[in-house]
Amino acid sequence: MWNGPLEKIGEYRYMIPKSYRGINGNLKMRVPALIYASEKMLPSIKKDNAPEQAANVATMPGIVGKAFAMPDIHWGYGFPIGGVAAFDAEEGVISPGGVGFDINCGVRLVRTNLHIGDLSRETIKQLVDELFKNVPSGVGSKARIRLSMQEINSVLDNGARWAIEQGYGWDEDLEYLEENGCMEVADSTLVSEKAKMRGKEQVGSLGAGNHFLEIQRVAEIYDEEAAKVYGLEKDQITVMIHTGSRGLGHQVCSDYLRILEQATKKYNIWLPDRQLACAPVKSKEGERYFKAMAAAANFAWTNRQLIVHWVRQSFEHVLREDAEDLGMHIVYDVCHNIAKIEEHVVDGKKMKLYVHRKGATRAFGPNRSQIPMKYRHIGQPVLIPGDMGTASFVLRARNEADEAFASSCHGAGRVMSRNEAKRRWNGREIAKILEKRGIYVHPASWTVMAEESPDAYKDVGDVVDVMHGAGLTTKVAKMVPLGVVKG
Amino acid sequence: MFKIIEHTADIGIEAYGKTLEEAFENAAKGMFSLMIGDGKIESKVMKELEVPFDMDEEQLLVDWLSELLYIHDVEHLVFGEFDVKIGKEKLTGRAYGEEYDVKKHGYGMEIKAVTYHMLEVKKDKKGYVVRCLFDI
Repeated sequence: MWNGPLEKIGEYRYMIPKSYRGINGNLKMRVPALIYASEKMLPSIKKDNAPEQAANVATMPGIVGKAFAMPDIHWGYGFPIGGVAAFDAEEGVISPGGVGFDINCGVRLVRTNLHIGDLSRETIKQLVDELFKNVPSGVGSKARIRLSMQEINSVLDNGARWAIEQGYGWDEDLEYLEENGCMEVADSTLVSEKAKMRGKEQVGSLGAGNHFLEIQRVAEIYDEEAAKVYGLEKDQITVMIHTGSRGLGHQVCSDYLRILEQATKKYNIWLPDRQLACAPVKSKEGERYFKAMAAAANFAWTNRQLIVHWVRQSFEHVLREDAEDLGMHIVYDVCHNIAKIEEHVVDGKKMKLYVHRKGATRAFGPNRSQIPMKYRHIGQPVLIPGDMGTASFVLRARNEADEAFASSCHGAGRVMSRNEAKRRWNGREIAKILEKRGIYVHPASWTVMAEESPDAYKDVGDVVDVMHGAGLTTKVAKMVPLGVVKG
Repeated sequence: MFKIIEHTADIGIEAYGKTLEEAFENAAKGMFSLMIGDGKIESKVMKELEVPFDMDEEQLLVDWLSELLYIHDVEHLVFGEFDVKIGKEKLTGRAYGEEYDVKKHGYGMEIKAVTYHMLEVKKDKKGYVVRCLFDI
């Protein structure tokens, strides 16, 4: 139980003051830390050491504004999951711990012009089984396409564009991906052979753990205007993909943690926790990590692009209709584990910053040039995946999100250990319960099924309600699962 | 000998050995026990690996287990027996196992990476205790 100071400074806003000296009494916070939460969530937030981790982040060189934590905050390696921190592009640092192992883990939402009345339960079952067949999932899921080293390098340098050029997707898809599916700063030469070998084996696969592929129904519309712009309406069928950069990203993170651990010593940076290992953004080590991370991010966009292609093919196969005729357009694609260079106003001054989001989503409000033209007048869609059996949400980014470097939450956040969940539930029983709720599940493994049972997470509804109440991102639509492919 | 340790969202192992080598071998056994279900891993193939010992023992543990994860990902192998030798400049290891087969080995969890959290290599009266957590 964490016992540090949390001062309520506004609706849904709790602050750890700069004067807090930490559990060991030796912290020197450069900025305060701010946690978005409801009263009800505080006990579970204090249960693990996540607030202390937010305070730790606030001690890092070059941090500006505040160290933020979203309501789905929970303990992570170094930085808390649900954390947002921005560092000065001249004086600041960059840290792999602020991004996470699964670089560009993210969410993609595809809409259709199908409605719930168009699909029988039997058809949904067929669709899920077809998706399971076409999209590799589960522990050790292997790639179904073989890429040469040259092709992997092209994926790393070009991102989703590579996939479109190879015929995996539609030209319009790129416009609806964050960064248009490619961070141009990426440099494949800074990614190790090992990472590339892992990537080769896994490109276009879902993976395991909390990753999923889901057929959903739009259950509720909260904001008619925004829903219309995003192409969403009640009872419509959507498909959501939640996955990241697979072993390639994990390897990039491991490789650079080793390098940055050394750099921390070399540049004489004091850190309260070894896992915050970082390097100045202008240092060779820092620059290299950033470019390699961007390459891993590009791999993740390609991964989701390949999956979208197979999702469209699966629908075509089962429903015997073209994906174009089914209106299977991408609503949007967000990443929730990433560091990016962005401009933000801090204390009235425009600054170039390295924004780290680890378990947090970029939320650009209206009029930002980086979001698709069609959405520009209302702001970017923010996609919040639920967990197996629970609802997912589409939110709308408001300019109010700028107070947190244009960021929002990313999901629910775990409250129970995976082993605890496994002991408490049996995977097959959970599948039965879900089936009764009208959700058909095809898991790669019944164990994962138990580990990822919805009760192991905080309620995603509570999390988005805090963001809505705080005004950073507001609710547009809620989707509930009809069929799930679990990794 | 090893035991599984848990943390909110994640899981790790604590392994023991009379020597540092034995503790490293047991740590690897522990890691693969998490990655599969109830099946037994037979020693059908042997992989030789080398890990540079250029930092501290903790980093060496991370690198040793990471190397095994890498081989698992790329060659789809699982291992059940290990031989570790730790020299001044490098660790040389042999890992015995076979191709991963869902039907035979069952499902465990996907380990993304070996982390620095709760990472420890320590010597006590009975020998060595090593500990680390995984990102899953």
